[in-house]
Amino acid sequence: MEILVCVKQVPDDSVKVVLNGSGQPAIDKIAPVANAFDTYALEMAARFKEANGGTITAVSIGPDEFKTSLKNCLAVGADKAYVVTDASYDGSDSLATAYVLSKAVAKIEELEGVKFDIIFCGKETTDSTTALVGPELAEKLGVGVVTCVTELALNGDKIDAKQETEEGYNTIEVAMPAVLTINKPHYDPRYPTMKSKMAARRKQIPTLTSADLGTDASLVGAANSAVKTISLSEPTKKQAGIKINEKTFEETFAKAMAVMTEAKIF
Amino acid sequence: MSLTDCKGIMVVIETADGAAKSVGLEMLTPAKEIASAKGTDVTAVMIGEGLEDAAKQAASYGADKIITVDNNDLKAYSEKHAAVLKELIEKYKPETVLIGATQNGKDIAPIVAGKLGLGCVTDVVSMKLGDDGKIVFTCPMYSGNILSDNVIDTVPQIATVRGGSFKKGEPKDVELPEEVVIAESMPYGDIKTTIKETVKEISEAVNLEDAQVIVSGGRGMGSAENFKLVEELANVLGGVVGATRAPVEDGWISRAHQIGQSGKIVAPKLYIACGISGATQHVTGMVGSDYIVAINKDEDAPIFDIANVGIVGNVMQVIPAMIEEIKKLKA
Ligand SMILES: Cc1cc2nc3c(=O)[nH]c(=O)nc-3n(C[C@H](O)[C@H](O)[C@H](O)COP(=O)(O)OP(=O)(O)OC[C@H]3O[C@@H](n4cnc5c(N)ncnc54)[C@H](O)[C@@H]3O)c2cc1C
Ligand SMILES: Nc1ncnc2c1ncn2[C@@H]1O[C@H](COP(=O)(O)O)[C@@H](O)[C@H]1O
Repeated sequence: MEILVCVKQVPDDSVKVVLNGSGQPAIDKIAPVANAFDTYALEMAARFKEANGGTITAVSIGPDEFKTSLKNCLAVGADKAYVVTDASYDGSDSLATAYVLSKAVAKIEELEGVKFDIIFCGKETTDSTTALVGPELAEKLGVGVVTCVTELALNGDKIDAKQETEEGYNTIEVAMPAVLTINKPHYDPRYPTMKSKMAARRKQIPTLTSADLGTDASLVGAANSAVKTISLSEPTKKQAGIKINEKTFEETFAKAMAVMTEAKIF
Repeated sequence: MSLTDCKGIMVVIETADGAAKSVGLEMLTPAKEIASAKGTDVTAVMIGEGLEDAAKQAASYGADKIITVDNNDLKAYSEKHAAVLKELIEKYKPETVLIGATQNGKDIAPIVAGKLGLGCVTDVVSMKLGDDGKIVFTCPMYSGNILSDNVIDTVPQIATVRGGSFKKGEPKDVELPEEVVIAESMPYGDIKTTIKETVKEISEAVNLEDAQVIVSGGRGMGSAENFKLVEELANVLGGVVGATRAPVEDGWISRAHQIGQSGKIVAPKLYIACGISGATQHVTGMVGSDYIVAINKDEDAPIFDIANVGIVGNVMQVIPAMIEEIKKLKA
């Protein structure tokens, strides 16, 4: 089984992002991590590989710094990793990113002499939260897609994917190659061990550029993207009210009830 | 597709058991405003089976034209819906396509955007017409801590719209508009997925979106057993039970109750958070509540930063006492 996992590096999503003085997200002091849903995807891929054999390659479109999270991916299941870096890709929207990813798929297949059977994406990123790149990539590649997957099983030359729905789930059969977008499964991603970290550190992460991929310059980057962000703002802040912490429970409770009754909330 | 040919707003209305989902009717409100400012009209599109009543609903909420693609094959949502919507967009050439940001809506939008090479934005919470005649779409990013204003350069353009972001208009007593197209089928092209099984695990209808009162529990409730206190408090207040991701993952309560980035977005009059720390992924789903009460034993819990009343204490003490007091008040 040849598996590709698409990973985006994002600011640690447990830290609240605010705007800086120039109206941009103040993210330079927030630790970079692999997008949470991509870590779920990698864990699902690793378990699938353990059951069915194969190789897992991770790929990121982004600056050289994205190697930080790719290194971590190499310590928790990925066998190989590529970073696709080109200044002309900066500011690409989801459609342009999906286009670059589709070209990266072809290039990595050529370099490794393989054909990918399954391409895993996260359900969404925690920074831009668009949830678009996975299905758009499937369309560019002309393959099937199942979104919101929380489990999968091999079924001959097809995949049976369990798709979470608003009421429960669907089991969807899709022919390989296919793109799957992954939601949080019932398990958590594994942690790296000392040994897996050491092994990951020794691995090379090759860089591919627009020249390697042969991307059309008129389809990538901020200027050629369909979606243009014109401004950012912070939502109106909710002011904290009062915090009640008296010496005894009885006092705290009585005071809280008085405030809430006064506010006529019940 | 050429730019000059495309006009009007297409609102894709999802249905469940023959009725329009709320978000579909909500979207008609901004769609009509923008269409009338631009001198065009709003077409409601429904893809499914047994759509007559939903078509009437769309008409009564102001759709100028209606297109339904109604056949048994389209009863359950699948990849075929995306194939049909693509055909409809090519045939009727709208300038803007609005889709409710339900799970199905978020599935269909990028597939169609990918097929037609159209720009697409997700989870729109507000939209307005810019001076240049372009629609400015406001979308949350970074767990809702930042909002981005976007325009889309392609025509048509696609946006998914978050439920609860717009208010439904007043329904009018009207018959179907003159322009109704009822198509039985559309070509699907190459279909690559098959639904083998559909399982409904969540039987109760959990209407968090329309609730006036929500009582939510988090990991701090400690166990499935203790979580029942949250339900009891919700009951005495006539409210609905909510939860963070933690108790859902631990199986104390079903996924239908999850509030936050990967759950429901709610805005009740009263929200009581019990044993909830206030992680941004949860807060983004409930910060729009009018009045927030938080009960947490850790006085530094971030939930207190957004609470109108923060009660520093043990949920196992506070909730039973509250239930008693409220019963007395209501008696
Ligand atoms: C990609 C992604 C998406 C996510 N989506 C969501 C989402 O949609 N919704 C969501 O809720 N979360 C979501 N999360 C998880 C989120 O980050 C938090 O982990 C989660 O909200 C924490 O839930 P909690 O507050 O119940 O638990 P905790 O953070 O563990 O907090 C428990 C709180 O209970 C308090 N407590 C403990 N015992 C008591 C007691 N006896 N009395 C009073 N207080 C007590 C503690 O002081 C603590 O503050 C997501 C995370 C990721 C990475
Ligand atoms: N720059 C990127 N590099 C690699 N994969 C990406 C990139 N951007 C998005 N993806 C993949 O697409 C998924 C959905 O992203 P998005 O549409 O941005 O929410 C992510 O979870 C990743 O798997």
